[in-house]
Amino acid sequence: MPEHAALKNESVLKDGHLHKKTYYARLFRRFVLLTMVSSLVPLLLVGWGINIHYTRFAKTRMINSLENQLANHRKIVELFLLQRTSKLNLIALTHSLESLSDMSNLNTVFEVLNQEDESFTDLGVIGADGRHRAYIGPYNLMDKNYADTFWFKKVMKNSIFISDMFMGFRKVPHFIIAVIRQERGATWILRATINPEVFRSLVEDVQVGKSGEALLLNRQGIYQTSPRFSGKIMERAPFSVGDVHSGVEIQMLKSHGDNGEEPSVRQIAALTWLKEPRWLLMIKQDYSEALGDVNHANYVTLIFLHLSALIILAVAVLVTRHMITVIKKRDKEMDQLDNQLIQASKLASIGELSAGVAHEINNPLAIILTERQILLDVAGQTQTMDNDFKEQFDASMKQIDMQIHRCKRITHNLLRFSRRTQSVIEGVDLNEFIREVVDLMEREAGTIGIKFRTDLDQNLPEIPTDPSQLQQVFLNLITNAIDSHDGKPYGSIHITTAGDDRKQGVRIIIADTGSGIRPENLEKIFDPFFTTKAVGKGTGLGLSICYSIIQRLGGAVTVTSEPGVGTEFTLFLPLQPPHELEESIIKKEGSSSD
Amino acid sequence: MIGAKILLVDDEVVFTGNMAKLLTNRDYRVTAVNSGDAAIKALEEENFDVVVLDLKMPGMDGITTLEEIKQLGLFTETLILTGHGAIDTALEAIKLGAYDYLTKPCEIDELVEKIEGAWSKKDDREKEDIQEKIHKVVESPRSAFNVFSKDKRKK
Repeated sequence: MPEHAALKNESVLKDGHLHKKTYYARLFRRFVLLTMVSSLVPLLLVGWGINIHYTRFAKTRMINSLENQLANHRKIVELFLLQRTSKLNLIALTHSLESLSDMSNLNTVFEVLNQEDESFTDLGVIGADGRHRAYIGPYNLMDKNYADTFWFKKVMKNSIFISDMFMGFRKVPHFIIAVIRQERGATWILRATINPEVFRSLVEDVQVGKSGEALLLNRQGIYQTSPRFSGKIMERAPFSVGDVHSGVEIQMLKSHGDNGEEPSVRQIAALTWLKEPRWLLMIKQDYSEALGDVNHANYVTLIFLHLSALIILAVAVLVTRHMITVIKKRDKEMDQLDNQLIQASKLASIGELSAGVAHEINNPLAIILTERQILLDVAGQTQTMDNDFKEQFDASMKQIDMQIHRCKRITHNLLRFSRRTQSVIEGVDLNEFIREVVDLMEREAGTIGIKFRTDLDQNLPEIPTDPSQLQQVFLNLITNAIDSHDGKPYGSIHITTAGDDRKQGVRIIIADTGSGIRPENLEKIFDPFFTTKAVGKGTGLGLSICYSIIQRLGGAVTVTSEPGVGTEFTLFLPLQPPHELEESIIKKEGSSSD
Repeated sequence: MIGAKILLVDDEVVFTGNMAKLLTNRDYRVTAVNSGDAAIKALEEENFDVVVLDLKMPGMDGITTLEEIKQLGLFTETLILTGHGAIDTALEAIKLGAYDYLTKPCEIDELVEKIEGAWSKKDDREKEDIQEKIHKVVESPRSAFNVFSKDKRKK
């Protein structure tokens, strides 16, 4: 890969790091939203469906119950009126005008009538002229003439008449039942006032829940009983009663408070017209109370929905957070792989380049060396050389030789780095191997006060690897570790080995107490030609060589470092060498047997 | 004492020129050529003790040249001197029968040492061959005719 491409990759990665935080936040929001939507939509649909169904069911039940109540009350009111009418009719038919005109007789009849309940306030016998023949009751009405009253005219026409509530001469809301009797050419009327308390209690005592009431209205919309909440008997109702109809009708009303300041309340009303008199019996109740069950159910459903939504939100957040953590971990692993890949491709391309460059430099170097040798040869044969000149000549020749060797060391390192070496894989006892390397290095390190400590896992399996390349790696790492103590009078290098069952391999940790690597350099240490050593002291290839060798052997190198405290290199080597390596060995063996 | 007869093969004219000078100064008899083809031609015309061969050359490369030299069936030993990084190739050359290899740049003393080694090996092989032939003549005089009549270059 060309170098600029690798650089571009790196910058893309850095950009990625910058945007990663917002990316995860966006991912988090999106996941939570998606989970919420996918969970809440079905929940809401089901809740909505159940709610609609239940509301309809509850409404039907409520209306049925209202209708039943109305029918029952209608029966009660009608029966009451029918019974009173029948009683009067019976008395009129069984008694003569003469007998009833007698006050004591009428009194007896009145007492009998009121025996069960005091449902009659008074009783009077009225002649065709509108004047009382006899009267029993609390009012002094004997001298009243009814000839011009509306009920008198009606009863003369209809034979039986039940009046609406009216004030009459007594100035109290009441109504009367009157029956007419034809007796031997004479016409007389038996008229009774129904005890308004008894009658009104039939209707007014009806209680439907807290806000419900029963009402009676005449065809003009005048209250025949006192409403429980607003309005009074004989007053006009704030709504129109409409036309007479048979059966039960359900209506929605809007009622206003007493003082008109309260907000209007929606009410549901069941209406039915009595047969005689044509009164409208109405049972009405606040809609909200009538549908209390539904509202309660709705309320519970709402709470349930909110709770569910909260639980879903909590679960979504928790699950998503967990998921994001997993994704983050995977991304991190992928980034590491990417970085390794970039590093590997960088090394590979530099390797190719290095091999070519090394060759091109070696040839001119060889020529320079031969030229130098020729000069030396010629100088050796020349006897007459100025002393000063000879001194300078020797010094220059020495310097040329030194610089050529310096170049040679660089090119040879380059060639080694470019992997142009053959792997020889054999079983290696790593612990023994490390002991040998430590023995080798101890002499050098000991002179500058650095001690070696080893902590070797005795159960380490033998691993198939290339001992000479591995030795190169250890020598490079330990040399660096020793060099990192530059300026420190003493220090230590700690080498640990341990088996890694999970990854099927062996870990070797080389930790030093040197000056450490600065964070900004940590990323670059495996790059070829990167060095912090003095000019001429390091080629910057040691760690690159380590990296490429370990990678070739199927392993991995990682590094952690703290400036001023030390550096720790961790090598991983697999129990099985990689396929490519095995294949190349087989190929090599195959070609050598030709 | 007369030194070994050496054929220098390298495409770098300056290098072969310088090397020829240096080796001549050390009493070797040096012929320098700058391609594989020229090397084969020279070997066909003359006997050499040691060939110093570069691996990376335009035209016929070092490995092919080595193979061709081996085809000639000479006692001449080949020493690989390469600036090329391919140590694999150098090892391959040894497998093909090269005496040893050196990487450029190398000290003249180092080269001389290797040349001496190669030369003495060539001498040993030659002596062994002659002894073998003498032995055969002694064992079976009739076969002597066959042995000496064969041109070893076309073996």
